[in-house]
Amino acid sequence: MLPRANSRSPARVKEMSEKDPLESAKKPRRPIGRRQFVEALASVGVLGTVVSFLSLLTSLLPSAQTSQQQGQVDNVFKYGSEKGTWYSDKSGTDVQVADFDQVGKGAGVLWRGTIPAIVIRVDESKLQGATATNGLIAFASSCTHLCCIATWHLDRPNEDVIFCRCHDGIFDPYNIVNDAMPDGTKYQGAKVVGGPPPRAAPIIPIEIKDGKVSATASSLTTYSYCG
Amino acid sequence: MKRIYQWLDKRFLVSPIIAKAQRTINFALPSTLTRQNKSRILWLTYPYYYAGAITAFLAVLQGVTGLLLAFNYVPSGVGDPGTATPAYSSVQNIMANVPLGALIRGIHQWGANLLIAALVIHAFWAFFRNPYRIGREVTWVLGVLSLFLALAYSFTGYLLPWDQLGYWAATISIQIMRAIPFLGDFLAQLLLGGTSLSATTLTRVYFYHVSLLPVLALILVGAHLLLVVLQGVSEPEEAWKTKIQKQVAPLFGPFFPQQILPVMIIALVTLGVLLVLGAYAVQVPGDPANKFVTPQFIVPEWYFLWAYGLLKWVGWIYDVVKFTPPAAVFGVDLVSAKVIGILIAVAMFLVLLLLPVIDRGKEVRALWRPLKTAMGVWWIGFVATLTLYALNEILSAYLAIPIDTMNIILGSIVIAVPVIAATPTYLILRQNLAKMKP
Repeated sequence: MLPRANSRSPARVKEMSEKDPLESAKKPRRPIGRRQFVEALASVGVLGTVVSFLSLLTSLLPSAQTSQQQGQVDNVFKYGSEKGTWYSDKSGTDVQVADFDQVGKGAGVLWRGTIPAIVIRVDESKLQGATATNGLIAFASSCTHLCCIATWHLDRPNEDVIFCRCHDGIFDPYNIVNDAMPDGTKYQGAKVVGGPPPRAAPIIPIEIKDGKVSATASSLTTYSYCG
Repeated sequence: MKRIYQWLDKRFLVSPIIAKAQRTINFALPSTLTRQNKSRILWLTYPYYYAGAITAFLAVLQGVTGLLLAFNYVPSGVGDPGTATPAYSSVQNIMANVPLGALIRGIHQWGANLLIAALVIHAFWAFFRNPYRIGREVTWVLGVLSLFLALAYSFTGYLLPWDQLGYWAATISIQIMRAIPFLGDFLAQLLLGGTSLSATTLTRVYFYHVSLLPVLALILVGAHLLLVVLQGVSEPEEAWKTKIQKQVAPLFGPFFPQQILPVMIIALVTLGVLLVLGAYAVQVPGDPANKFVTPQFIVPEWYFLWAYGLLKWVGWIYDVVKFTPPAAVFGVDLVSAKVIGILIAVAMFLVLLLLPVIDRGKEVRALWRPLKTAMGVWWIGFVATLTLYALNEILSAYLAIPIDTMNIILGSIVIAVPVIAATPTYLILRQNLAKMKP
């Protein structure tokens, strides 16, 4: 058998690990010639072009047009599309105050077609830290943890809590506390009483017009923490 | 044949490269070491040598099936939430109407799972037998980068049907990504076109899945394989010793047919398993994506569970030690345990990536390296138990154990099991080593 595979013999590996002394032998230093000068000039040019092309990456950021609100602003809540709820067949229609005929009745709704929320008829005598409007109170329902949509009486029908099914986050709609967004914006919301959510679920101030429930807030900034 | 070769050689000067590759490839892969060494323990490790080859086989298969799927898939998530978007309908169409569509999709789906599994086996094998010693560090780094790539492939692929499960798994991932200090929101906008999922995201993710990632894969995996072919497979130390001491005839049979035969057998078995799984166990897309309704029990793919579990587990530790951090430190949100979890995950991957720099030991036998092997065992235990922890809600629902009790049980398992597994490993191996080295 020939001494094949010499590239893998232990001796060769040892050799590979040692530096070749000839490599680092000194070369006489020469003044910059014309060739080196042109090379340097060309490299700067090529490098500059490549770097300036990096600015094209900004085209990847979302354009202003897609993030703009278009059309008339309609602040009336619309019923959400959760299956197997009392409002399932009303999905997409205006939220009527008359539908909330008893304490504890609540619904998942949508505000301006972008912000998911929950409207609940509460027992006003038990409510702490805020006042209800015609017995109703509304919260943004995107969980402050990882933005799953929290629900009312869907997974836990016998507990009066706003519940997020992703990581069992629990908010108490009867206990309204002050809280602040990471950027420092102060707001009021339903206190976290269980699970991982870091912040309270923000209240959405509401009013009743022609029997319909609508939000009074003019700005979405407090509620768009989920992007 | 010869004339074609001569034609090519004249134009591209390939013969020196081919000659070199032929020389190494003919003796590259260790042949049936078991038979040659007459040692029993190697039977155990024998199949792992082929995990890399199986990964390559599956990657080609993914390319072929993916190409076929791309002809019928429409990458558009435009439409009202909860209604069938073009993307969703086109996947339904593939499943129902396209000839053999369901089978092709099934193979693609299960192929992805098996590929990750083969890749993980390949990686663990490489971890314990450290073939990344002198001269092969680049091969290891390219391999780890390919592992990232495979995970990126599966993350993007999971979202493409635009159904509820994919949508919400990706939503949670985006929100976690947004927690990266300072860069999070910017990265989400750059890569995904927004801080939440939208039709723009789907188009981008599709572009990554079918265009950007394949190019990167060809470069990274190509370089990885080229290095293996040129340098030859790293044989375990005992192979050299046997050869030198006993002067036995060739330990390493030529590539064809000795080496390729077991690869072909395992590849055929894999293909058979894939066909059965693809035909009978294909996962049908759930309801169309609805950004206003979260489905129950969202879990990411099994190979992402450990990261998901890590975040939950850190949160549980926060609770146990009653740690209430300040709301924000320099604008970094420390409250929700996300940042700490992300940092741990990044550190784990950095250690993996820079392993050749960290571990300079020359000993290849895992049993002769108590500390490293014990650390590896701890690592496997940690990842495995975190995977279990990620399922806490599902386990608590099915076993009817309250979630708090479940968290205490699983949280303690995550702390205890890796240590319980690693400590005896270290002690036994060290004792063994002392016996071996008088």
